[in-house]
Amino acid sequence: MEGCPLEKGNGAELVLAYGARTLAPDQAAAFERHMSSCAACRELAAAQQDVWSALDAWTPEPISPNFDEKLYQRILQEEQFPWWQRLFRANWSLRPAMPVAAACGVLIAAFLLRSPQPIPAPQSSSQPKVGIEQVERALDDIDMLKQLDVIQRAFHLLDPKLGLRG
Amino acid sequence: MHPESIDSQTAQPSWNGRVKDHRAVDATLERDAELMLRVRDGDQASFGLLLERHRVPVIHFIYRMVQNQAVAEELAQEVFLRVYRSRGTYEPTAKFTTWLFRIATHLGLNWIRDGRNEKLQDSLDQETSNGATRQLPDRGRTVEQELVYQAKLGEIRQAIESLPSKQRAAVMMHKYEEMEYTQIANVLTCSESAVKSLLFRAYESLRMRLAHMA
Repeated sequence: MEGCPLEKGNGAELVLAYGARTLAPDQAAAFERHMSSCAACRELAAAQQDVWSALDAWTPEPISPNFDEKLYQRILQEEQFPWWQRLFRANWSLRPAMPVAAACGVLIAAFLLRSPQPIPAPQSSSQPKVGIEQVERALDDIDMLKQLDVIQRAFHLLDPKLGLRG
Repeated sequence: MHPESIDSQTAQPSWNGRVKDHRAVDATLERDAELMLRVRDGDQASFGLLLERHRVPVIHFIYRMVQNQAVAEELAQEVFLRVYRSRGTYEPTAKFTTWLFRIATHLGLNWIRDGRNEKLQDSLDQETSNGATRQLPDRGRTVEQELVYQAKLGEIRQAIESLPSKQRAAVMMHKYEEMEYTQIANVLTCSESAVKSLLFRAYESLRMRLAHMA
């Protein structure tokens, strides 16, 4: 084998396959030849082999003899439920509906944002009508107040004490 | 041997101990799908055959995930119940075992995620679901050997439990169910490279935690 597989990036996979005995015999032999001269691969393979052996020691518990019986009881119970309850218990998943819901949300938002006509504010019929003359008078008053304000500021610039007196 | 010949592409399961005759595997898969299609058509006996074929691997897989026999059996019942419920809509588009283990993994991971595994690991003085005190299986060991075995087992279980749940599931499928990367990826609904990454990290953690047991 030319070069160490650990340095090439496929070392982990190779060691795993070697430990799991899933390498082809010629590949395993080649790796064993490489390990005889590579301490790093040798140590890693040995550690992986230890893990593999340790996991082999974990034998599961025996299964309850009435497992099938319980399961069939549950199936029988479920079949006695009314159709709407069985429908509710079916394996529904909301996951496929999520993108559809998101797409609908985006469409609604886009429709609302791009709506050309603003929604008119409701006008109360009891609101008093304002005459055009009244508006003109109010605007004149505002102009006059503004002029007074300008004059007052001019006095302040000439004599700041005036502001104190005023 | 050229280094190219030992890359990830060629490291396929094909050797002693884990030899898999692909034709035999394909025949098994076809048989599963065929049985499930019969269940869909109302043949109850075929469901019994499916249960017979997959009961043990499913329970053992979940047991190693959740580390509690009673919970494992309860969740396994839910797995088969879901298979039965879904019989009407079953289409043999994917491997039956992939589908089965996807349900099992989903239930196991949910159970772990919900934190229902706290202080629930099987202990020797715990009562079984039948109310009887748990009996140690007779493995032909002396009491001392059994104690040493139990201590070793405790460490292995702790090491497995310390893994993030997805890594745990990947190791269980790789080590005990002898699944290939592609099938594990299908079960976990992730890419093959993600599975490799999960497994490398998991085994690295296990090597560190179990190094002293050599």
